[in-house]
Amino acid sequence: MLFEINKLSKHFSGLVAVDQLSMFVNEGEIMGLIGPNGAGKSTVFNLITGVLQPTEGTVKYNGKDITGKGPHIIAELGIGRTFQMNPLFPDFTVLENVVASFQCRPKSSLFDIFFNTTTYRHNEASILKQSIEILQLVGLYKVKDELAKNQPHGYQKMLGMARALAVKPKLLLLDEPLSGMNPEEIEFAMTAIRKTRDQGVTIILVEHNMRVLELCDRVVVISFGKKIAEGLPQEVRDNEEVIRAYFGGHGSA
Amino acid sequence: MQYTALSIALATVVNALVLSSIYILVALGFAFLLNILGILNFAHGAIYMAGGFICYKLTMGLGLNPWLGMVISVIIMGLFGLFLERYGFRKFYGNLNKTLIVCIAVITIFENTANLTEGLTVETVPSFAPGILKFGIVSLSLERLVTFLVGGVLLIWALWFMRKTKIGLQMQAVSQDIEGAALQGIHIHRIAGIACIIACSLAAIAGCFMGAYLNVNAFMGDNIMLKSCMLVILGGVGSIGGVFFAGLLIGTLDAVLPIYLSASVGQAIVLAIAIIILIWRPQGFFGRKEL
Amino acid sequence: MVVKNYKKNYEKDINMIEESTLSNRKSNKGKIAQLLPYLVLIIVIALIPLFTHSSYYLHILILTLIYIIVSVSFRFIAISGQFPLAHIVFMGIGGYTSGVLAIQLKWSPWLTMPLGALLAMAIGILIGFPFARLRALYYALVSFFFGVGMIQVITAFGRYTGGIGGLVGIPGIPGLISTNKVPYYYFILGVTIVCLLILYRFEHSRIGTNLKAIDQSHLVASSIGINEARYRVLALAIGCFFAGLAGAIYAHYNYVISPASFQMSQTLWIVMYVLIGGLGSFAGPIVGTIVLFLVPEFYSSLRTVVPFISAALMLAVVFLIPDGIVSLPGLLKLRLEAIRKRKREL
Repeated sequence: MLFEINKLSKHFSGLVAVDQLSMFVNEGEIMGLIGPNGAGKSTVFNLITGVLQPTEGTVKYNGKDITGKGPHIIAELGIGRTFQMNPLFPDFTVLENVVASFQCRPKSSLFDIFFNTTTYRHNEASILKQSIEILQLVGLYKVKDELAKNQPHGYQKMLGMARALAVKPKLLLLDEPLSGMNPEEIEFAMTAIRKTRDQGVTIILVEHNMRVLELCDRVVVISFGKKIAEGLPQEVRDNEEVIRAYFGGHGSA
Repeated sequence: MQYTALSIALATVVNALVLSSIYILVALGFAFLLNILGILNFAHGAIYMAGGFICYKLTMGLGLNPWLGMVISVIIMGLFGLFLERYGFRKFYGNLNKTLIVCIAVITIFENTANLTEGLTVETVPSFAPGILKFGIVSLSLERLVTFLVGGVLLIWALWFMRKTKIGLQMQAVSQDIEGAALQGIHIHRIAGIACIIACSLAAIAGCFMGAYLNVNAFMGDNIMLKSCMLVILGGVGSIGGVFFAGLLIGTLDAVLPIYLSASVGQAIVLAIAIIILIWRPQGFFGRKEL
Repeated sequence: MVVKNYKKNYEKDINMIEESTLSNRKSNKGKIAQLLPYLVLIIVIALIPLFTHSSYYLHILILTLIYIIVSVSFRFIAISGQFPLAHIVFMGIGGYTSGVLAIQLKWSPWLTMPLGALLAMAIGILIGFPFARLRALYYALVSFFFGVGMIQVITAFGRYTGGIGGLVGIPGIPGLISTNKVPYYYFILGVTIVCLLILYRFEHSRIGTNLKAIDQSHLVASSIGINEARYRVLALAIGCFFAGLAGAIYAHYNYVISPASFQMSQTLWIVMYVLIGGLGSFAGPIVGTIVLFLVPEFYSSLRTVVPFISAALMLAVVFLIPDGIVSLPGLLKLRLEAIRKRKREL
C-alpha cells in the first residue's frame, strides 16, 4: 500500500466538506475518485497536499504520516498534483513552465545557483532535457516556446499535467484532467495518463466525467463528502446508490 | 487662569478626544478607499493639508468666518475627490502600482504649491469657537470642545451611513467583492465616486480643525498619513470599528505622553510599540487573517 | 533562462543540449556583441571626472549611483510580487549603523560598512517572516508604515543618532579621502557595477525564476516544491543587504546622515524611480533614477518648477506608457509598424 487516508474530515464552520473518508491506493494503480459536483473531491486533494488543514484524520504516504504538511514538503516527498482551475505560470512559455517546475529532483543549492558551478549547469542541462521529454509525452513539444497564457484550454490542461510530472512524482493527483476537453483531446489525455502509469507513477484521478472509469483500476465514489461506494469500475457503475447520487434517483446510467 | 490638577486632567481628556476625532476622520477616509477601491491613497495626507490650507487662506486672506471657510474648503476638496476618482483612479481599481504614481503626483503638486505660497512658515487658522468655558473651578477651551463634538457627530454619521443607508450597504458590498457587486447591479463607479467625495471631505474638515488646534504647514500631510496607516493597520484592515478603537488609543497616547516626555520621544515610543504589535500580529486587533 | 535558439526538431534539440550545456565551451562572439554597448557606457561614465572637476556634479552623480543601487534592489524584491515600500529605510539603517559604529566604537569604515549592510539584511529578515504571508496591497501598506515609522524611532535615539539634525562627524573611507571627490566617485562607480552584476545574476538564475513563479501563482509554486515564505524572505534579505550597503557607503562618503533623507516623500520617490522607469526590466530603475533624480538636479536653478514637471511626467507615464519609460522604444516600434501597415493598405 503506497498511500492511505484514514477517517479524513474537513469542517468549514458548519459545513462538513469531507466526512470520515478512508481509502487506500496501491502502487502502480490508477484510482478514480469520482462523484457529482460539490462532492468534496477537490477538497480531498487540498487536504492531502496541505493546502487545507484537516479537521481530523490522517494521511499516510509510504508508511510516513504526512497529515497537514505544507504543499512544498508534499512535493518534495514525491507527490505531484494538478488543479481543477488549472493555474499556470501565465507569463512563462510552455517550456519555461516545465523547466521552472523542476525544483526537487535534481536540486541545486543556493551556492551552486549563484556561482554557476558545474553542478548547477549539469542540473540545468538535465532539467532541460527532461522537460523536453515530458513535453513530448504530453504532446506539447510543438508549442514549447509559446506563452502559456495564450494556449487553448486543452493544451493548458496538459501543461498542468506536464508541470506535475516535473516533480518526478511517485504519486500523481490529477484534479479533473479531462474537464473542458473535446473528445479528441480526451483520448490523447487518457493515453498520456496510461503512459505515465506505465512509467511507474501511481495515479489518483478526480473526475466527474464517467468516461474516466475506462482508465481506472479501482474506483471510490463520494457524495457530500462521504464515501458511498468502492470497488471495480464495472461494480460501481451499476451501483444503485451511485446512480442515485448522480441522477437523483431516477433513470439509469 | 487657574490650572488645577482637575483642569489639566480634563483638558487632557478633551485633547485626547480632539486628536482622536481628527485622526479617525482622516483614517476613515483612507480606510474607505482601501476597502472599496482597493487602493492605497497616499495622497490622503496631502488632501487633508490642502483642506486646512484653503480654509486658512480664505479666513486670513479674505477675512471669512472660519466655519464658512471650512464649508468652502470641504466643497472644493469634495469636488477634487470626485475628479480624482473619475480621472485618477477609475481605470486602476485594485492596481497598486498605477494608483501609487497618481497619488505621488498629487502629493508633489499639492505640497509644492503650498510650499510656494506659504514657504516654511507655520500658520494657524483662526479659532472656530473662541473663548473658554468655565464649569466652576474647571476651564475648558470651547474651541476644542466644539472640534470634538463636531468631529464626533460626523463620525457617528459616517457609521450610520455605512450601516443603515442603501448606499452605505452598497459600499460594503463593493468592498467585499467588487465583481459580485457589479453583477448585482450596483453602480460601482458611482459608489466609488461617493466614497472618494466623503473621504476627501472628511479629510478636509480634519485639516481645518487641525489648523485651528495646532497649525497648518505644507508637510502636515506626511505626519497624518503615518497616523492613518497606523490606525488602519492596528485596527485591522476591513474593520471600521477597529479604526475607531485604534484612533481613540493613539489619540489618547498622543495627548497624554507629551505631558511626561518630550514630543519626539513620545511619538517614537508610540511608533515603536505599533511596529512591535505589527510584527507580532500583522492583522491588527480586529482584522481578519490575511493571506 | 537558457531556453533560446532551439530548432523545432526534437532529436536535434536533445543532442544539442547535451553537447553545448554540458561542455564548458561557450560561444564568445555572441557574448561580446551583447556586452559592448554596456562597456562603452561604463567607459563614458568613468571618464566624466576628466571633463569636470565640479564638486557639485560629481556629488550628484555619486548620489545617483547610490540611489540606483537602492532602486534596483527594490525591484529585485518586487519581482516576487511584494512591494517593500519601506525600502529606503534600509538604506538608512545601513548608514546609521555604520556611522554609529564608526563614531562610537571607532572601528574602521571598511569594517562597519559591511556590518551596516548585514544589520539591514537581518532586520529585513526579521520583518520578512511575519509579513511574507500578506496580500500584496496589505504588505505594501504595512511596509510603508514600518519604513516611515522606523526612521522616526531611529531619530529618537538622539544620543547615538544625532536626532533630527542627523548624525554628523562620520569618518570618511580611509584611502579615498582627498581634496576632491574623484576617488570616491570611482569607488562608488565600481561598487555599483559589482552590485548590479550580482543582482542581475540572481535574477537570471533559478532563484529569479522561482521568485517570478511565486509572483505568478503561489499555488502552483508551492505545489512544485517552492517554499514560498523562504523565497520571499530570501528576496527581502538580498534586497535589504544591498540597500544597507548603499546607505553605509553613502554615510561615509557624505560624512553626515540625516533623517531628512528618509522621510515619506523619499520613501515614495524611490518607488517612483522603479515604476516610472519600468518595473518589468532590469534597466528600468536605472532609467527611472536618472530621469527623476539626476536630470532634475541639473536644473536645480529651476527648483520651484521642477517638481511640477516631474509630476506631469509621472502622470504622462502612468496614462500613456504604462509599462514605464524603458518600454517606450518597443511601443514606438509597434506604433510605427501600425502606421506603416495602414499606409500600405491605402
